[in-house]
Amino acid sequence: MFRLMLTTTLAMLPLAAGAQEITVGAANVTPFLDPGRDHSNVGSQFYYNSFDTLINRDHSKLESKWVPALATSWELIEPTVMELTLREDVIFHNGDPMTADDVVFSLNRMFQATFPPYVVRAKDRLGNFTEAEKVDDYTVRIHAAREEPLWETLISLQQIMIIPEVYTKALTGDPELAEDGDYEAFALAPMGTGPYRVADLQPGEKLVWERFNGFWGEIAPLERATVVQIAETASRVTALKTGEVDIITNVAPDQISLIERDPNLKTEGTATALFHVMIMNQNHPKLQDPRIRQAMSLAIDRDALNEALWLGKAVVPSTHTMEEMGALHQPELTTFEYDPERAKALLEEAGYDGFEITYDTAATYYTNGLLAAQAITEMWSAVGINGRVNVQDQWSGDDPEMMARNWSNPMYFSDPFGSFGVMWAPEGPSESEGRFNTDAEYAEKWERFRFSTDIDARKAAYAELMEEMKADPVVLPLYRPFESWAMKRSVNWAPMPGHIPYVLDFRAGSISLADS
Amino acid sequence: MANLTDAILPRPSNRTGNDRNIIQKAAILLAVLLAVAAIFAPLLTPFDSLEQSLLSRLRPPLGFERHAPGHLLGTDELGRDVLSRALYGLRLTLALAFAGAVLGLLLGGLLGLVAGLRRGWVEDLVMALVDMQIAIPFTLVALLVLAVMGSSLTVLVLVLGIAGWEQYARIVRGEVRRIAAQPFLEAARTAGSGPLYTACYHVLPNLISPLVVQFTLALSNIVILESTLSFLGLGVQPPQPSLGSMVGLGRDYMPTAPWIVLTPALLILLLTFTVQILGDWLRDHTDVRLRDR
Repeated sequence: MFRLMLTTTLAMLPLAAGAQEITVGAANVTPFLDPGRDHSNVGSQFYYNSFDTLINRDHSKLESKWVPALATSWELIEPTVMELTLREDVIFHNGDPMTADDVVFSLNRMFQATFPPYVVRAKDRLGNFTEAEKVDDYTVRIHAAREEPLWETLISLQQIMIIPEVYTKALTGDPELAEDGDYEAFALAPMGTGPYRVADLQPGEKLVWERFNGFWGEIAPLERATVVQIAETASRVTALKTGEVDIITNVAPDQISLIERDPNLKTEGTATALFHVMIMNQNHPKLQDPRIRQAMSLAIDRDALNEALWLGKAVVPSTHTMEEMGALHQPELTTFEYDPERAKALLEEAGYDGFEITYDTAATYYTNGLLAAQAITEMWSAVGINGRVNVQDQWSGDDPEMMARNWSNPMYFSDPFGSFGVMWAPEGPSESEGRFNTDAEYAEKWERFRFSTDIDARKAAYAELMEEMKADPVVLPLYRPFESWAMKRSVNWAPMPGHIPYVLDFRAGSISLADS
Repeated sequence: MANLTDAILPRPSNRTGNDRNIIQKAAILLAVLLAVAAIFAPLLTPFDSLEQSLLSRLRPPLGFERHAPGHLLGTDELGRDVLSRALYGLRLTLALAFAGAVLGLLLGGLLGLVAGLRRGWVEDLVMALVDMQIAIPFTLVALLVLAVMGSSLTVLVLVLGIAGWEQYARIVRGEVRRIAAQPFLEAARTAGSGPLYTACYHVLPNLISPLVVQFTLALSNIVILESTLSFLGLGVQPPQPSLGSMVGLGRDYMPTAPWIVLTPALLILLLTFTVQILGDWLRDHTDVRLRDR
């Protein structure tokens, strides 16, 4: 008996030590890690564990509450200049101390971007910032071109997380210069100041985090976390059931009951701060009449899609808005509706002759994407639209032949500018891909929405932009998808309301493992 | 003692023959049933194969809890009737396989005929192509073609047609060479029959029986190939059902709604099985060399 107890105890020892390690089975592992150039749903999973922003927010809260991170304090010394005092005990994963030089380097690589992937991100969200300037080793100033209503929001973006200057410049070529090659190399050998260092990155396959003991804040709860890519839903669920992994991502609603039936497993889900949308090509020769596009939009019963595909757990919006946007949340606007009778009338008015309208979708990229596409074309046919699902994996948003397709519009930061704004700004990604046109009137409304310092003026301008979307629609937000993660019961983790979508936050206070 | 003799001596040959006949008769009956089901699918199915009923998704077949009345074999992930989709899928799969097999027959038969009659470098070329086709794993070629060209029913039929042509070419060439050495052909030529006339009136009739057999055998291979391609998402595109795509799209639901996969999978099994048996039966009844065995 004693011997049995002894062996049992011995057998449990390595388990107790191993309990601080987890493995995650993810639908997608990122092909690179550079917070500056990335804004994908795949990448956003990974930055928060290894990188810090100057200003952070309390992620346990839905509303924005700013907390010090790499900057301990900040103030506006002029309407267009913010001065930040930096934390002094911060070191990067290679041991180098973080100073104002690193901060200025990280910010200016975006504000004054020359590397093309940075240029895109800088333009769509950081365009108002002109430069960062060093005052002394632990003080920096950020200059904006115009008065900025969203200072803290934009300074806390993933894209301007802080990276090391000396290390990055020395990666390739001349160690004194920041070359494109340095940034390309950094994306495969990333380094920040966060609580976990990236110990191994195999693009698209595997990512290993190890606890960074030199972290300036509360030390990481996990010794090691490994993320492996398991693309197929069924394989991910199997890997979780067999104990091969501890957490899996992107669990479709249809799988939830199967997982909950297993006494050792549980799921955690949330209506993610992101819209699955249908986009329509304003410039397709057959779709130039807005009445056709209005009908395509009015024909879709989004509540039925929610009930059927998301078990009613998704959120169907009346306009392009989210409660995370705080004072700018405007659920009272009605921009998008279901009205099949009006759809039929509009088609008749527009003289629709039954030509085929294609709806592009990838086979598996969006949860329920293919199912929704088939349901949507069926709803179209109910009002007389001859729709066809076109399954293809390549992105067709820049193809002039594209008529309609699915897409997602994440909330990159909690403001309408961070969601609708990033995608549908004048000269933004949609207009530059040639499927959306703006005129001087739209641009004027946009300017008032983006830069008014008075909240009511911003709300009014945004409502006017929504009216434009209603009159000449190019996008229909379908729903906020209900995204779930499944895990062993011994893992205490759940997505937090203050994060952008999909962040795997393993910092202190965000995850713990029950000793079992 | 009598029992022992029974055990040692070979059983009367008609006994095994009867067993085989029963299986063959059952298979032929099944084949006819499947063909009728496929041809008359629009009349037989209770629902439109594309009609969705989003609020009764993933309902089980008759006899299980939560069964939705009318949907005999349950509903799929969009609330479509599984039985109706399976029958339409069977119809499309059979039609594609048939078109593909006919294309392969025409292409392979023609090349084999030319090779057998013309000989020389033409024959060498055709036979080199045949060897190449045999050497390359065709599923890979099919995947590549569909990935590059994009999937449409036309491309799919072409791919399925190219899948089996080499077998016909070999058979036809061999038969043509055998027939060419027969005295009756010598007689025809002496009587002034031209090459085209010879090919059509003297050679082709003798080719029919081996070709019919090969056609049936190839059909089941093509059914499998079509199902494989559709399973992988490169064949028939949703929402159009084919047996393979139903299995492919339904596999995420295996643990919770197995009927979505089982129905088309069972149909694929029955289809290939009966077609194979039918091929054997045809060979037994048409091949002269086997007739007296």
